[in-house]
Amino acid sequence: MTVAVIDPPRTATVPTRLAEGAFAVATHGLVKRYKRETALGGVDLQVPEGAVYVLAGANGAGKSTLLRTLMNMERPDEGRAEVLGLEPRRAGARVRAQIGYVPEGTEAGYRWMKVGRLIEHQALYFPTWDHEYAARLSRVLEIRPERALGHLSKGQTRRVQLLLALAHRPRLLLLDEPTDGLDPVARDEVLSLLAEHLADTGCTVLISTHLVNEVDRVADHVGVLRAGRLVVQTSREEMHRMLRAYRAEGPDGWVGPAEVPGVVLRRTGVGRDQRWIVWGEERAVAERIGGSGGVVRDAAPLGLDEAVVALLRWKETT
Amino acid sequence: MHVSINTTDPRPIYVQIMDEVRRALVVGTLRSEDPLPSVRQLAADLRLNPNTVAQAYRELEREGVVYVRRGQGTFVAEQASPAQERGALARDVAARALLDAHRHGLGAEELVEAIRVTAALPHNRNGGTE
Repeated sequence: MTVAVIDPPRTATVPTRLAEGAFAVATHGLVKRYKRETALGGVDLQVPEGAVYVLAGANGAGKSTLLRTLMNMERPDEGRAEVLGLEPRRAGARVRAQIGYVPEGTEAGYRWMKVGRLIEHQALYFPTWDHEYAARLSRVLEIRPERALGHLSKGQTRRVQLLLALAHRPRLLLLDEPTDGLDPVARDEVLSLLAEHLADTGCTVLISTHLVNEVDRVADHVGVLRAGRLVVQTSREEMHRMLRAYRAEGPDGWVGPAEVPGVVLRRTGVGRDQRWIVWGEERAVAERIGGSGGVVRDAAPLGLDEAVVALLRWKETT
Repeated sequence: MHVSINTTDPRPIYVQIMDEVRRALVVGTLRSEDPLPSVRQLAADLRLNPNTVAQAYRELEREGVVYVRRGQGTFVAEQASPAQERGALARDVAARALLDAHRHGLGAEELVEAIRVTAALPHNRNGGTE
């Protein structure tokens, strides 16, 4: 009898922290409670400098609260935040001066104020305001300066908010559901503007959204917030490599290995057709499934949307 | 050169861009010394992260397919040989087809045979003889 020496399986875990590096935004154990509701339950957000970070999650998961905390528009009950090396609680104004922020709602200012006035007003606040760029954004976004803010539709207000956020060329963009209320053509235009803006400025972007498919092409980092906690935080590259859907079939009665070297987010089986969504090293997972008598047909990476859904539905058993 | 990207494709986006450049070389829409679109332009056109485009260009440069002229942009290298790229491209297409065949429970021989039969059908005018 021969005894095979097998390396103990490395058990992969779903990462919630990035490797150390330069972060444009870092929070440490951020907690925010509203009476008995916990909006943020100890969040360690890490947005690397120059990253396009997509913060996904269901409505009410705490995304907007987190962004407002970074702007010092919300005070955390515990923990602290660092934004561009400053603490928003102490240096709120200096932090905000370097941020382009598109807020959750579509209240852009006084209802009687004309769009043009608001833009001029904002330009005075920011020494880095780029008038030429603002004019171009105004053209592309089809902004009508003579309109009163109170008469704008949701989508028109969103366009004005995007102009206000981009035109001072901030080091950091905080975009809370930036394409909310925009029609498909406008969404496409905004994504193109964003790509261009990134190429020109190399700024850091934190986008909160529940429509992740829209930003799949620009995202290079992903965080998924569920009930005030990050269930994953990683680079898109790492997610692409580690999070895969495996399909395999085996002989009658085969249900696959008792466990796989990784975290099983979802497990479904129809007859002899078995499917796993696993966070783990592809080779190790496929070998384990194959070694238990099945034929692995597929180990496909998940689209960002599918990945987020799988992570949101994942019931941690530990 | 027209680049198309698909986020449901299992290949990472930067690899898709590289493959698109190779494809353009093979079909002749890109020739040596032709400029590639700027990173900014391609990122804006495709709504991509500029870093992803830059990564693709860097990899292509490392492979000697393109070169960078300081301040002028990225150009197709003279030594970029369509014949060589053709071979590489064919292997990529084959690898994808094999993966798909395996997913459908088909072996390599079955696939090759089916390709021959299908290519010989009268309505397949480009019958594999490009």
